[in-house]
Parts: sequence; C-alpha cells; structure tokens
Amino acid sequence: MDAFRLDGVSFRYRGAERPALSAVSLAAAPGSRVGIIGLTGAGKSTLLRCLNRTVPAGFKGEFSGRVLLFDEDIAGRRPSALAATTGLVFQDFDSQLFSSAAELDVAFGPENLGLAGADIRVRVTAALAAVGLSGFERRDPATLSGGQKQRLAIATVLALSPRLLCLDEPTTDLDPQGRAEVAALLGRLAGGGITVALAEHEAELLVGLDRIVGLAGGKVTADLDGATALADAGLLRGLGVRPPDAVALAERLGLSSLPADPSAAAGAVPAAGFSVRPGGGEIFQDADRAAAGSEGAAVIEVDGLEHLYRGGQGLRGVSLSVRRGEFVAVLGRNGSGKTTLVKHFNGLLRPTAGEVRIDGRPAGRLRPDELGRRIGFVFQDPDHQIFAGRVFDEVAFAPRNHGLSEAEVAARTARALELVGLQSAVDADPFVLTKGERQRVALASVLAAEPEVLIFDEPTTGLDYPAQVAVMNLLTELNRQGRTVIVITHAIWVAAEYARRVVTLDGGRVVADGPARAVLRDSGLMSTAGLAVPGVAAIGAALGVPAITVDELASALERR
Amino acid sequence: MSTGFFVDRDSLLRRLHPVTRILLLMLAFTAALVVQHPLFLLPLWVFFLMVGWSAGALPGLRRVWWLLFLVGLASFLIWTFAFGGHDTLFVAGPLRATRQGVVFGAGMGLRLGLMMFAGLIFLTCTPVEEFSRGLTDLGLPFAVSFALSLSFRLAPLFGDTFRTILEAQRARGLREGRGLGRLTIYVPLFAPVFASALRRADLLAMALEGKGFGYTRERGSLSEWRYGWRDYLLVAGLLLLVVGLMVVRFLGYGGVSR
Repeated sequence: MDAFRLDGVSFRYRGAERPALSAVSLAAAPGSRVGIIGLTGAGKSTLLRCLNRTVPAGFKGEFSGRVLLFDEDIAGRRPSALAATTGLVFQDFDSQLFSSAAELDVAFGPENLGLAGADIRVRVTAALAAVGLSGFERRDPATLSGGQKQRLAIATVLALSPRLLCLDEPTTDLDPQGRAEVAALLGRLAGGGITVALAEHEAELLVGLDRIVGLAGGKVTADLDGATALADAGLLRGLGVRPPDAVALAERLGLSSLPADPSAAAGAVPAAGFSVRPGGGEIFQDADRAAAGSEGAAVIEVDGLEHLYRGGQGLRGVSLSVRRGEFVAVLGRNGSGKTTLVKHFNGLLRPTAGEVRIDGRPAGRLRPDELGRRIGFVFQDPDHQIFAGRVFDEVAFAPRNHGLSEAEVAARTARALELVGLQSAVDADPFVLTKGERQRVALASVLAAEPEVLIFDEPTTGLDYPAQVAVMNLLTELNRQGRTVIVITHAIWVAAEYARRVVTLDGGRVVADGPARAVLRDSGLMSTAGLAVPGVAAIGAALGVPAITVDELASALERR
Repeated sequence: MSTGFFVDRDSLLRRLHPVTRILLLMLAFTAALVVQHPLFLLPLWVFFLMVGWSAGALPGLRRVWWLLFLVGLASFLIWTFAFGGHDTLFVAGPLRATRQGVVFGAGMGLRLGLMMFAGLIFLTCTPVEEFSRGLTDLGLPFAVSFALSLSFRLAPLFGDTFRTILEAQRARGLREGRGLGRLTIYVPLFAPVFASALRRADLLAMALEGKGFGYTRERGSLSEWRYGWRDYLLVAGLLLLVVGLMVVRFLGYGGVSR
C-alpha cells in the first residue's frame, strides 16, 4: 500500500501559460518522509494541494491523472471529506489561526468532524503536547512567537489525526530559533508513523528525510534518498536549495562528502589530506581592515533611542551610528526590535525618547519627502508597496512625489529599471510578474529616488536560493557604487557572505555591534540572541581559521 | 481572534451559557430603551457599573469612555434643541432650548451610553467563538455565525495591512494632504489592500476546507455548555426589571413629556 500515489497528474491553472504539474507520477510508502524541492514556480505547492484535493476542487483549471491516498482514488471527494486523511499546513500561519485561544484553534478540526467534547479534549491535549505547546491552551495565538504559531498551526492539523501530513514551506517567515523548533518537531513526528510530505527551500529542514524529490517546470527531475540528495551541492542549488555549509565545503575541496556535524567535519578535513595553509588563520584580517577603512562619515546617528508600543517596549536605549558606504546586517529573533529600529531611520516611527540624526540633523526636523530622498526603505513584501497598474508608474512614483520634472522622472526611472534588469518590463502590469520580479520592481521604485541609504527588510524571504543570491549580488553592487546598505535578515549566511558589520538586537537592546566576523563567530552571544553561528564558522573555528564563508575557509586550506 | 476587549478571567457572567449572555444583552438594551428620564437611567447606570466591575469591564471602559462621552454629549446637544417642549430656557437664532429638551437629551445620552456599555460588558466576558456558539444555538446556521466571528478577526488584519501599505508609500514621499484630498490619495492604495485581502481569503478558505469545515451538520464542541440555575435566575431577574420598568412607564413615570 502507498500513502499517496500520483499517476500522470497534470494541472494547468486557468489563464496560466504552462501547466503547474505535468504528467507527475510519484508514490510514497506509509510512514516515510518525503522532501519536495524546486525553484519558485516548480509546482511544489500544487503537488501538495493535490494530496488533499484542494487542487482541483478549489482552483479553476485543467486537471488530469489520478491521485490515490492509501490506495483509495480521491477523485470527486471534497477536501473537507479528506481532512482526517491529509493535513495541509501553509507557510502563512496567520491565515490558519483564527481563534481567541490556542485550544480553540486546535479543536476546530475535530469539532468539524462531529466528535464528542471529551474526545475533542483528548485530541487537543495530545496535539498540543506533540508540538511542545502543553500549557498554552488558553493563550491567544496572536501573543505567540512565530515559531510557536507555526507549531500551533501544525497542531491544528495533527488534531485531525491525519495519516499524511503535508507542509508547504512552513519555516519561511521564522527566525533561526523558530526554524529549529519546527525542524525538531518534524523529527519527533517521524517516530509516530505519520507520512510527511514537505515542500521546502531550507536544507536544515530536509536533514533526516527518507527521500527528496526535485521538481522543475512541473515535472519530477530528481528522486533520490535524502542523504544522497543532501550531499549533492549542485543538485540542491539547481533545485533552489542552498547546500549545507559542510556539503558546499566538500564540493569546493573536491571531496565526495563531509559530515554535517561541524566538529566531525573539522576532523574529516585533515583526514582527507587538507591542512591550513601558512598564514591561513590571519588572511581575512587585512581584508577586513581595508574594508573598514573605506567607509566615510556617520550618516545615521542613534542616541539613547527608546520606542514604546501600546503592548510594551519596542526599543530600550539603542545607540549606534551608521557610516556612509557601510553594509550592515541587523540580526535578531522575531520581535527583537529590528524593524522598529530601522523605521526610525526614515521617520516612519518617532522615538518615545532619544534621538535619531541624519547627517547631523534630527530626523524629526526633516520633511518626510526629504527623508525619503535620503533614506530608501524596501519592505519585506513587495505587494505592500506596489499599487500602480504599470511598472513605469510604480517606479516613477517617488521621483514624482519629490516634484521632479517629467524628463528627470523618466531618466531616473530608466536608470532604476536598468539597475534591477527590468528595462523590458517598463509597460508591464507589476501584478502579473513573478515574486522575484515584483521584488525588483519594489527595489527600483525606491532606487528611483536615488537615496544615499538603502534599507531592506528581509530581502531574501520567500525566494529560492538563486533568486536570493541574485538580489544580494544586486545589493552588493549598489554598495560598491557608494550606497550605504542596511539589511534586516534572519538568514545568517546572508550576513556572513555580504555584510561587513553586524548589529544584533535582543529584547529591544543592541547586544552586539561589530565586524561581521567577530559577531558571527561568537557562539555564546549568537545563542543568547536566539541565533546560531554559521556552520562553516564552527568548522573553521575547530581548524583554527576565522572564516565565516565557505569560500574563505576553502581558500585557507591546501592539500598536503 | 479577539475583539480587543475580551478578558479571559473567571466571573459570574463568563460562566453563563453564551445564549444567556446574548439574552441578557438584549434585555439590557430593552431596559435602556423603556425609560427616558435621567432619574430612572442613573440607577440603571449604577447597576451596570457594578456588573461591569464584577466582569472586569472597567479597564475597557477607560479605553472608550471618550467615545461614550462624545456620543452622549452629541445626543444631549441635539435633543436639547430638537425635542421641543413648553419651558423655553433660551433662544439662539432658529434654535430653541427647552427644559424638557435638556432632560430628554440628558436621558438620551445616558441611554446610548448605557447600551454601549452593556455591549462592552458583553465583549469583555464573551470571546467571539462563544458569541458564535450562542447565535448558532439560537438558530443561526453555523456558517453564518462563523463568518460573523471571522469578521472580527479579519477587520483588524486588513487594518494592519492598510497601515503597512501606507507606511510603504510614506517611505516613498507620499504627500497625504488634508480632508477630502487625503481620501483621494488613499483610494489607489486600496488596490494592494484588496489584493492582499483576496490572497488571505483564498488561504483561509483552503485552511477551513482542509480542517473539515462543512464536513458534517452535527458539529461537536470542545466546550460543553449547559444551562444552570444561574442562567435562569439572571434572565428572570433582568426580565423582571424590564417588565417592572414597562409597568412604571405604563403608570406614567420614567418618561419625558413635552
């Protein structure tokens, strides 16, 4: 018996140019855990939706093929009738939680099945215990952290006792601690006999899965056991997943594999015939010093900044300065105050106490359009920024607001679109572009104001690995051209590979502020802030090399 | 999901069946509507303040007292001039204030405030799920009462989305202007708000179906509510109060005549 079987399944959404799934045939054994990876648009979500028949029942389009769950053909069944067989969890946990107490959200599914109150209570208690949320029964879900919310969303589905659990990128919006919580939960579920199908871009979540299936253009292009797939850096990159550091290092060193555990990997490197080249322990320090010396005078100065929200303290006595030409990463767990801090830089928030100065002048005394010209802010979700019906009008919005002539507006718009590589889309409707393209439109619309400082809130969230690299390379290029770049991110590797300085917040306070290398290698500090040292930094530390990227560590090693 | 006023604490009202709480709210509205004179409404206010205190509604009242005050003041001013009556206090152009108008206006202000405060007490001790449950037990189809309760959840979410979108445009130098001009500026921003709302609605529909919504007509319930003696006693008590006030009105007291 198979837990699920797709026989030649194809689906084309109404109005789409090409099918989301094309003749997909795939089966999984009961109790197995299957990872589904692929670039954005590869068909991962559509495949999972087929498994509870949301596709085709909830979407207009052309469907063909057969889907069987535990040997039963589900054609014609309503998704609600399959709720006790297939549980589907989305990346957006806020859309799945709609009650005033955690236990009520968990009870919603069993209540729909018409169970007796006592049976529902048993299921609620068991589901909350399974996700480690016992004791949270009466908590308002809105007051939970991101990781807790996602675990609660999983509990709401587990309470239906599904035999197949489908998770669609469940950790996209989570900080490292939240991701670790969900990864640990998936590990615990493995022993329970439940079949798991997980669509994911994060390698961390794929560790320990039995199988990994790669999708490209709606077709299955790879189907390997989990360990083999996770050891193939090229395969992972091609399917939108950033390889684990140990795997990428093995590839760079020409080794077939390295253990995932950093200390084991550090032991395996010398055993494979590599040693630290003479001076390899210090080779980055000169480069760091040179980079630090290239930055100019302070453009943003923050002095004793406090921000009080109605629900509590947002920032507590933050003081720092950002110099012209810096590339700063702001790290911290969800709710640590990162976004609150940077919203003071362009006047979106006013300090409760303390002061923010831009080029020596208090930000509160600068007009909003003047601030907008100096400090550009790119929001996390491009769809919160885009509202015009034409890319040109969207990008021209800021320069027009600044009262420039139409000729200057056109020139700036053209320059901004060229920078993000969207010259050919000037007349397109932004809402028909892909998410990566919409993100570039949002970036261009800020660039067109030609600000000196660019602030990005989670620029890589929701993108596959190649798109993440593309957007970060673009930011690096803008920084090389002289712009100051500030990036809020949960992706530690982004801070390691692109930022020269890292500011870490926790509980509204700055707990670390210094060169990226010093902050990211401090395991005690990172752990306190709910973060983790990059895997490669841990391997490097064991080898006596202060590297924070795979390229750095590989360049410090030589074959004996 | 929360209306923002709900306080999860034990109280006499909180322990009542949701249907009882809805009935008590209706009876409270009726009581406020039966009498007109402030001398009859003030004791009702004292009674409701005590009920509100026991239900933990006074912190909520501190948050919205200005709204109750403004509604009461507006009502007082309007009725002072609009009610008519034979004892003229003063004339200001076409407006004539009367003693009867002042009394009726004060009563109307107290009445509206009382109804709003009764609603606040209800929201303080009733999460939307219990409101929905009460409506269902009163005969409303579950899908309708659930949709009603969802609106409590979605309204603040759409508000948050609109604020984020507005911030994104302010960051690009949006000039908001004043009055009607400001509204004109806001209109295009509703495009991304609606797009976001549609996406949310899609996901929500998928989440609901995926959790068996509509699978059976005989829904179960985590909370097994039963009517107890307190339910009967309180409904009977408030019903008696309403009937008493009606009798008082019938006998010619508690009203304001022109």
